[in-house]
Amino acid sequence: MIESKRHRRLIANIATYTVLVSLSAFCIGPMVWMFLTSLKYEADIVTQTMQYIPSRITFDNYVAIWTQSGFPLLIGNSLVVTLLTVTICVVTGTLAAYAFSRFAFRGRDRLMLGYLVVRMFPAVMVIIPLYVVMRGVGLVDSRFGLALAYTSFLLPLFVWMLKGFFDSAPRELESAARIDGSTRLGAMVRIVVPLARNGLVASSVFIAIAAWNEFLFALMLTTGQGSRTWPVGLQLMVGEFQLPWAFWPPAASSASSRSSFSSLSSNEPWFRG
Amino acid sequence: MTSSASRYLPFRALGELSETRYWMYLLLLPSLVLILLVIAYPTLYGMAISFREMRLTRPGLDGWVGFKHYAAMWSDPVFWIALKNTVVWVTAAVVLELALGLLTATALNRDLPGTKIFAVLILLPYFLPNVVAGHMWALMLDPRLGVINDILVRMGVLQSYKAWFADPNAALAATILVEAWHGFPFFALLLLAGLKSIPEDLYKAAAVDGAGVAAQLRLITLPMLKTVIAAAVILRVISLVNSPDLLLILTGGGPGDATQVLSLYAFQTAYKEFNFGYASALSVVMFVILMIFAVAYIRMSRITKE
Amino acid sequence: MQLNKRQLLIGSAALAMAGHVGGARAASAISYWHHFTSQSEMASLLKIIGLFQAANTDVAVTQENIPNSEYMAKVSSAVLAGGRPDTAMVIAERFADLTAMEGLIDLTDRVNGWAGKTNFPDNRWTGLSSNGAIYAVPAFAFVDWMYYRTDYFEEAGLAGPPKTFDEFLEACRKLTDPSKGRFAFGMRAGAGGFKYVIDVMEAFGSPIVKDGQPAIDRAAAIEAVTFYSDLFLKEKVVPPSAPNDSYRQIMEAFRTGQTAMLWHHTGSLNEISGAMKQGEQFSTAPMPAGPKAHIARVAYAGNGIMKEDNIEAAWQWVSFWGQTDAAVALLEGTGYFPASAAALQDQRITGNPIYGAAVKTLDFGRLPNNFIGAAGWSENVVNPAFQSVLTGQSTPEQAVDRMTQGLEAALR
Repeated sequence: MIESKRHRRLIANIATYTVLVSLSAFCIGPMVWMFLTSLKYEADIVTQTMQYIPSRITFDNYVAIWTQSGFPLLIGNSLVVTLLTVTICVVTGTLAAYAFSRFAFRGRDRLMLGYLVVRMFPAVMVIIPLYVVMRGVGLVDSRFGLALAYTSFLLPLFVWMLKGFFDSAPRELESAARIDGSTRLGAMVRIVVPLARNGLVASSVFIAIAAWNEFLFALMLTTGQGSRTWPVGLQLMVGEFQLPWAFWPPAASSASSRSSFSSLSSNEPWFRG
Repeated sequence: MTSSASRYLPFRALGELSETRYWMYLLLLPSLVLILLVIAYPTLYGMAISFREMRLTRPGLDGWVGFKHYAAMWSDPVFWIALKNTVVWVTAAVVLELALGLLTATALNRDLPGTKIFAVLILLPYFLPNVVAGHMWALMLDPRLGVINDILVRMGVLQSYKAWFADPNAALAATILVEAWHGFPFFALLLLAGLKSIPEDLYKAAAVDGAGVAAQLRLITLPMLKTVIAAAVILRVISLVNSPDLLLILTGGGPGDATQVLSLYAFQTAYKEFNFGYASALSVVMFVILMIFAVAYIRMSRITKE
Repeated sequence: MQLNKRQLLIGSAALAMAGHVGGARAASAISYWHHFTSQSEMASLLKIIGLFQAANTDVAVTQENIPNSEYMAKVSSAVLAGGRPDTAMVIAERFADLTAMEGLIDLTDRVNGWAGKTNFPDNRWTGLSSNGAIYAVPAFAFVDWMYYRTDYFEEAGLAGPPKTFDEFLEACRKLTDPSKGRFAFGMRAGAGGFKYVIDVMEAFGSPIVKDGQPAIDRAAAIEAVTFYSDLFLKEKVVPPSAPNDSYRQIMEAFRTGQTAMLWHHTGSLNEISGAMKQGEQFSTAPMPAGPKAHIARVAYAGNGIMKEDNIEAAWQWVSFWGQTDAAVALLEGTGYFPASAAALQDQRITGNPIYGAAVKTLDFGRLPNNFIGAAGWSENVVNPAFQSVLTGQSTPEQAVDRMTQGLEAALR
């Protein structure tokens, strides 16, 4: 009995590692390849015989990205826009998700669908009227305006995801707090939000990535260097006539730092209850 | 427990407010105002264009044309091909991503030593913008410089380099693969967060009752993750239907119309032909299809119920 | 002539700073939208701005680069929703659409009163005029020509580059050797490939548009599409990747020695020269002549003014591009062919035999098709229609019918 249980656990562990190793290879393989490519001279990339290990390396691509594109400024703008977007979403979205998760009221289902509807109309057709509106209130070419535009379509996403996490947080503790005399607000802030913190982090990370990487709105709603974000700067670096490995250095560095941040922080308490 | 809140008047007032029956509406108010303020008008305006003639290069043609664009769409062969491709592309990509995501999340949730590192590695692709992922894979699948061809030839799978994007079927399959690579960590991330909120005791109890891995998945994991999965699927479907960027980079809809999807078709109609009326009609059709899908799916998965 | 990367970077940084200093004292500031992206293009642009600023201390230019693929999206929304720049780059293919959406300001009077006008023969202006009015000042030109591998030609016993389509087909057969992984012709049928489909159709005697009406000659067009697609389908003298091959792919195929001939224009000379030796490995030749017409495009690109606010300063800037200094700076940095006849006399062009084919092409080359909707029709109809012939999804007849229908819809 015990023997077979241990045996089964061993098999499960081996299977787990097999899955993790092969999926990691699948995910990371292409990126490692791009990293190697970014160190090669162009003449070593455009060749007849594939070079797996670069025979000579160069950091020209990295230097070019840094000097040519005003990269620090772009990254700074992206950071500001992302931070603003996440802040607005977390503040307003958490409240909405909580309401959807914990209260039964008339029209709730329809309203939830209504939030989603906002995301369903293709951005391509929204951009021009949005641009007109933003110009009207003087928010074109501002980081706040861009963050507002992002919020409008990321907020529904945030609410929907977070609602799922609130749903799976047990109600019993909340009820207990209420019996102890806590208000609804108190129960929400002190009990439910901390319980769903993994979900809160996951959802926030998710919209942060979306805001960080967004291209079309950023291109159309900004002009000039003042509020341009990095995906736009990047597209400019590469254009359609150049070879794409110039993409690599900034993309990789930003992706890896964010990925490690989010997965390492997802177990840390986000809000202390 | 209320002591900290009662110290500050505004908090106490809010706390009291939270006991009224309008509390949920107050909770919803900020997000609703924000959404309506920013996006309601642009969306309605964008939809209204579909009933107008609006071609930027023909400023003379203007005015309402009723359902003209919709009638034109009915007899537009490219529209039907794009519709079919959209369904195939989105379904295949979401199924693949969900399966891989579930597998990843389950494996990561076992919390074996070293899991953190794997989590970082597996999440990486999702952090790349579509544009970068697209260019990257375009290079790796390149018919001349592509490393994938080289590996497959060395392994003896292929006789010679294959031009993946030159063959209609291979092109569609390749774009689905790229999308799955880029998108499955999204499911993994969300499902893992969902799994973490399932109490361990449930599994222990099930194990005592003799339930195997498959039974545990069916009886505990999937039901508990239901709302998270449903929300993830819906959100993913919406974003896949609406975003043309990956296909724009990889194939531009080609070869022929083999990878032409509705979002790409609308984008090209709007910004290459400057025919905003027709592009808007295409967008409205996409919107309606998504609505029908969302309503049906929500009914089926009962996501809004508790 | 070739600067290395570092020099370019340092130079451009210095010039950018110089530009800022000039800007501080400037009486009027104008914005300039363009789609230059590569290092050499950007360095040349900054150099031109530097030259301009030195000559016009009262005007400051703020340049904004926009990805080429999104250029029209951005410009069209600026026209539609407001937010136009003062000045913008206009290439021939986009000129008709830009004037049709009333994006450019009529410059006829200014051009007629401008001393530099005589540097440009009449045909320079036709490509940038609409209904007799001039909307942009030409700056540079892309002249179609053919690159070919001199060493491969020698190996195959071919005396020289093909002059007609028949000779071209003959050469294709001799140059292809699948066992070596070698193909004769780098066909572009991915993004941008429509250009050559249209050229071959015209070379077989089918016009595209006449007097604003669709004018595709069905029989000739089918013959053309059949000839061109057979290079891939029957003759197999084209790499199997052709249906998705775009600029980057055809260049790489040529640079890695997979293909022996390549149709493109003068804009890619720098890239090819960087990878192989002029004369020894590759050379250039005029495009081969078709059975009915000898087609090669000469596309002039220029700069236009998009709004009236700073029109005096804007005019100084766009007309500066038409001066020899600017043209030569661009030629040095990027190899882009000057539009001005005066700059053509520069010994960098007359003294370099590789440009001979382009100079010859200037005599017979035509302007690109310049009707409203040309860009959309080419990209959204011609490209997929031709690709589907290559992948066997449709016949040349079906493809030509689809092109004709699409053209009717575009012109309606």
